[in-house]
Amino acid sequence: MNCDSVSKLIPLYFYGELTPDEEDRVEDHLHACAECTAALSRQRAIAAALNEREEEVPVLLLEDCRMDLMAAIQGGAPRLEKTSKSPWKLFLEAMGSTFSSLNRLQRPVGAVALIALGFMASRFTAGTPSSANLVPNSSPSDDVIATVRSVRPDSSGRVQIAFDETRRRTVSGAMEDQNIQKLLLTAAHEENPAVRVESMGLLKERTGSAEVRDELLNAVVHDANVGVRLEALKGLKPLMADAAVRKSLYQVLKNDENPAVRMQVVDLLVSHRDDSMVSVLQDVVQKEDNNYIRLKLEKALKDMNASIGTF
Amino acid sequence: MAQDAAGAVGARLSPQVDSLIRAAQRGDQDAFEQLVRTYDQSVLRLAMNLLRSPEDARDVYQEAFLRVYRNLHAFRFDCSFHTWLYRIVTNICLDQLRKRKVRKEESSVVETTDGSIDRMDAFEEEAAEADPERSLWNRQLKSRIEGALQDLTPRERMVFELRHYQGLRLRNIGEMLGTTEEAAKNCLFRATQKMRSVLGDFV
Repeated sequence: MNCDSVSKLIPLYFYGELTPDEEDRVEDHLHACAECTAALSRQRAIAAALNEREEEVPVLLLEDCRMDLMAAIQGGAPRLEKTSKSPWKLFLEAMGSTFSSLNRLQRPVGAVALIALGFMASRFTAGTPSSANLVPNSSPSDDVIATVRSVRPDSSGRVQIAFDETRRRTVSGAMEDQNIQKLLLTAAHEENPAVRVESMGLLKERTGSAEVRDELLNAVVHDANVGVRLEALKGLKPLMADAAVRKSLYQVLKNDENPAVRMQVVDLLVSHRDDSMVSVLQDVVQKEDNNYIRLKLEKALKDMNASIGTF
Repeated sequence: MAQDAAGAVGARLSPQVDSLIRAAQRGDQDAFEQLVRTYDQSVLRLAMNLLRSPEDARDVYQEAFLRVYRNLHAFRFDCSFHTWLYRIVTNICLDQLRKRKVRKEESSVVETTDGSIDRMDAFEEEAAEADPERSLWNRQLKSRIEGALQDLTPRERMVFELRHYQGLRLRNIGEMLGTTEEAAKNCLFRATQKMRSVLGDFV
């Protein structure tokens, strides 16, 4: 084989699409030819660069697609609940104000949490006029966001400015690190829903701790953002044997306005059946206005040999 | 290289998949839902990767599985369900890619003074890259990659996607696209040649 014919086979060799015989001949040539070996290295480098651009599917998008499809099949409607916004849309909106891109949210965070948190306020007030406390000619550095509270010129031509500064700190550590876990629990209450979603995503892997369990339950019941509630629900899966968890989920099933949340709750409850659920499901099935969820509830009751109505 | 997923899952679970299909053909909704869940992640990933738009990917998902739902009764097990499903999915995606070529739809790539960058990646770049030179290099590389992928014909793009990202064999890809393994090989070869000529000096 000469260089010309091998160079044509390099992509197929790389993708493992040659016959064993062709592969042997290409390898024989590669052992003796530096130029073709370099071409193979380039092929590998291009493939590695291309791997970087691979899109990950956002979990909420997948759930949304599934709901749309099942709704279309059940009711013949193209979209579930046209009047209300889908979880994916709500999630996008929640993120929109904070991030210019969703890509970041689609990345698995892994065992390392990077959290930018921290507040450090230093204030120069009129009550502390000593020049030692002032930082003449200083300007807030790039990572400092300053809010100017007052500006006071003095008789000597100098100016006294009082401002608050919020300094960003980045810490990193393994998920086992107590401090990281504390920060994640704090982040679960942040105003920004994107931070809450990400912290839930990490906390849900640590359901062994009672503190984490309570935080997940709190988010499922009280968080205003659908994305956060759905993420927290996933963390409750291994905790379904816990009666307190099931009790909270009954309330969510009765009260949550979002069908994606209710659907996920039904799936969780069904995964750990117990007799106390029958009356709750019978109650809910009467009020449920989503066809798909109602069918799921009816099936669950049927599987438990319970009637659909209450008597 | 991403090794897939659906092909392997489909092959490994074949008897289970077959019984799901038969149950779904008899009208069992749960079986249909399970069947969808076996494959839908890789379908959505394919659509996202090809179309780079969650909304378009969502439309592909919906249309593909509705077609499966409506036509499942006609599935006769003369090829694998995975191949049958992907024939549907690739057809829909190819239509979308062709429409885009015709319309020259505004892409996610925007021009800046540093060259073109991908809007989807802009935030991540800013956040992750502290080294401006590295950041610029990455942006340029990403921009080149997007450009190279957009220069492929829809068919080349599809073959490349299915081989590189979904890890499917060219023989299966040929079957899905209604062509021969040899034709799929040629497509892959042309696609990689184009990539090499565009990205060669970057790697």
